[in-house]
Amino acid sequence: MKKRKHFVVCLAAVLAGIMLLGSAGAEEKGLLRTAIKGDITTMDVAKTTDDYMIPMNVFDRLFETRVVDGSAQVVPSLCAEYKVSEDGLTYDFTLRDGIQFSNGNPLTASDVQYSFERLLAIANQNTDIPLEVAGGQEVMDKKADSLSGFKVTDDTHFSVTLKAPNAGFLAELSSPAMSIVDKESMTDGFGTDPAAMIGTGPYIVTEWITNDHYTMVYNDKYWGTEPTVKKMIVRVISDANTQNLMFLNGELDLIDLKNQDGAIIQSQYKTGYADRMVSVPNVGMTFLALNESNEFLKDVRVRKAIGMALDVNTMITALYNGDAVRENGIIPTGVWAHNDKMEGFPYDPEAAKKLLKEAGYEEGQVSFEISMDSTASGTVQLVGQTISQMLEKAGIKATVKSYDHAAWLDVRGSGKMDSFVARWGMDYNDPANIMYTFFGSVSNTQHRSLNYPDEEIIKRVAAAPAIIDDAARMAEYQALEKKIIGEDAAWIPLFAEMHLYCRGERVESFTPQWAGFSDFFGIDVVLKD
Amino acid sequence: MKRLVQALLVLLLVSLLLFIMLRIVPGNPVAVLMGEHANQETIDRVTAELGLDQPIHVQFFRYLTGAVRGDFGTSYSLGKPVSQLIGSAFLNTLLLSLAAALFAWITGGICGVLAAIRKNSIADRLFMGFSLLGISMPVFMVAMILQYVFAYWLHWVPISGTADWRSFILPAIALGWNSAGSIARLIRSALLDILEDDYIDTARAKGLSKTSVLFRHALRNTMLPTVTMMALQFSALLSGAVITETIFSINGIGRLAVQAINARDVPLLQGTVLFSTALVILGNLIADLLYKVLDPRTRKEA
Repeated sequence: MKKRKHFVVCLAAVLAGIMLLGSAGAEEKGLLRTAIKGDITTMDVAKTTDDYMIPMNVFDRLFETRVVDGSAQVVPSLCAEYKVSEDGLTYDFTLRDGIQFSNGNPLTASDVQYSFERLLAIANQNTDIPLEVAGGQEVMDKKADSLSGFKVTDDTHFSVTLKAPNAGFLAELSSPAMSIVDKESMTDGFGTDPAAMIGTGPYIVTEWITNDHYTMVYNDKYWGTEPTVKKMIVRVISDANTQNLMFLNGELDLIDLKNQDGAIIQSQYKTGYADRMVSVPNVGMTFLALNESNEFLKDVRVRKAIGMALDVNTMITALYNGDAVRENGIIPTGVWAHNDKMEGFPYDPEAAKKLLKEAGYEEGQVSFEISMDSTASGTVQLVGQTISQMLEKAGIKATVKSYDHAAWLDVRGSGKMDSFVARWGMDYNDPANIMYTFFGSVSNTQHRSLNYPDEEIIKRVAAAPAIIDDAARMAEYQALEKKIIGEDAAWIPLFAEMHLYCRGERVESFTPQWAGFSDFFGIDVVLKD
Repeated sequence: MKRLVQALLVLLLVSLLLFIMLRIVPGNPVAVLMGEHANQETIDRVTAELGLDQPIHVQFFRYLTGAVRGDFGTSYSLGKPVSQLIGSAFLNTLLLSLAAALFAWITGGICGVLAAIRKNSIADRLFMGFSLLGISMPVFMVAMILQYVFAYWLHWVPISGTADWRSFILPAIALGWNSAGSIARLIRSALLDILEDDYIDTARAKGLSKTSVLFRHALRNTMLPTVTMMALQFSALLSGAVITETIFSINGIGRLAVQAINARDVPLLQGTVLFSTALVILGNLIADLLYKVLDPRTRKEA
């Protein structure tokens, strides 16, 4: 009996000990804790187009796209002044005075030149923008060491000459890809070793433990206003439910609801935390691409019938609880030159059937495959299923098939995929980003928009960035959009979903990145304490 | 020596099979690596840089020569040397496995013995109910319930991570409960059999105390199957527990392997699979050796 008593006492002591240790203390002042679903690959923009959180916060760019009074605008950052030549080819830049990197090195024009050339020398990701500078191709092909179009006058003055005029150039310079690095301190560890990441931005990355977390702390040499967030810990939490519990438990100060199930968002966040929800349009486009080489889909009447058979508004209410904006063109809402007068395909399954009959098809004769990427989000998978069901009502047989991500990319790249549902997120606020990617070259159209055949239009899309006059360029883009979607129905535009976040109780306010990236600027979070 | 050669052959065969399999499946790992925003020229260039445009035998030879030097390549998706990634993940898996095994052996042992000596009592039913629950409930469910009750509701332990030792308590229970259940059932039935044997009656007749009969005579003979089971279970635990590691956000071998599969990260996948294979081989070897220590009869035969 005595022994049993001892045992009970011991057990109680252990439990009490665990409980005491477990009681959480007050959170560190200025600390922001958040979570991501999967770890980053690198901290180097020369090697990623996805993992921008560290580059955005540790480095600055010549320009930044910031949300000012509710709309995204390109504003100068490291650049103090600039002048564009009459022909739109040459930009004269002046850097801000007295800017230092976090190691104390001064920022000079040669750091900017080096940052441009480095992307081309590594020749991995994000080469498109520096390639626009005269001599870019030569540097990438290792035929030249430096850009012939980049002239450094002195430490703070330099000029950049482009191969062809590009009215969207400044917007492109605000992309995280164009982060300015310190030439002098560059080492092989750049991208993997936190100590090598020397920037002028508000934060310094102090540790990165693979699959666990990374930490950024305030850079006291930062030239801008001091943020309230002094330290950010970003943990890798791959399980959505664990993230959810951590937020509810006060272990996360900001949660990205992109990974949460729609039902949880609706029942828990929208009811319990309605006043703390933050939403931003995910500037981009979810669309159904149709293969113009497919035996049925090559007929524009069939493609239009598909457009008319889809009830996009119902998709938005049923699948996204209304948290999405309907899109009717190619240039998404929130991007310069977006046309809000663009008319979508009217939802009319009967008219769709009629159109199919005109094309010579009876009900059930048209059949094709909707290829889904298995790594796409659960909701996007549902979009595929819903499209299939809606098409069935109009007498079109569309079977959904799911592919492993690598296999999906492979089949799509071959140009033999019948159709697919996917999403494109904007890299920078210029229509060229989406127009050129999908309709700007024959190889792009082959795998991105499945064999769009009109070469005349492809040429016009490629030439549009050179139109210097803004009004003329906007008119050209909108005309192209009308032709490609309105007349050719090359794509069926669907919607742009909202990106939802929820603030923890320590966070006063939060402004997400303008395009709705999961990555955000630490300076855009204001803490209460 | 013979066993060592056998082990090496198995490893070589596994790596060859894996190498071929990973290259038969459709899809270019580089396209996955580079992401949706990369253009085709970039993908082609990086494919060549990584040597993935070379014939498969050239690639395999290059991999083998690297592996012999301890260089298992660099992970595509995590950008770090595979050996380094496996090293840090294995430390977490080892801690988790040890904690889970300890939980399983201790609770399983206690439950099994108590249930056997109190056969058909309420305690027996309770302990066997506990075992049955552990065996029949899926790990993810146990993990989620534990997480909800002890971390979220009672705040006793952290919800996830590996920041301190308390973080390992819930994952260890979630992972070890199943083993605890099977160990308890095994010990109970073995002990019940043995307790009816003649030599136990002899021991009792000699006037030995109850504890002495139980521990020195009965329990010792249940050790053989139990230890084999424990060793095999432990080596399985060491190859990673995907679900537990994911739910509790523990950077372990299992999660690393799943990540490698999703990202088509060939070097990382090869590394983790080879590592797990080596562990299983090692686990079997240790079980064999333990057998010899515990059962003198097997020593003579060897």
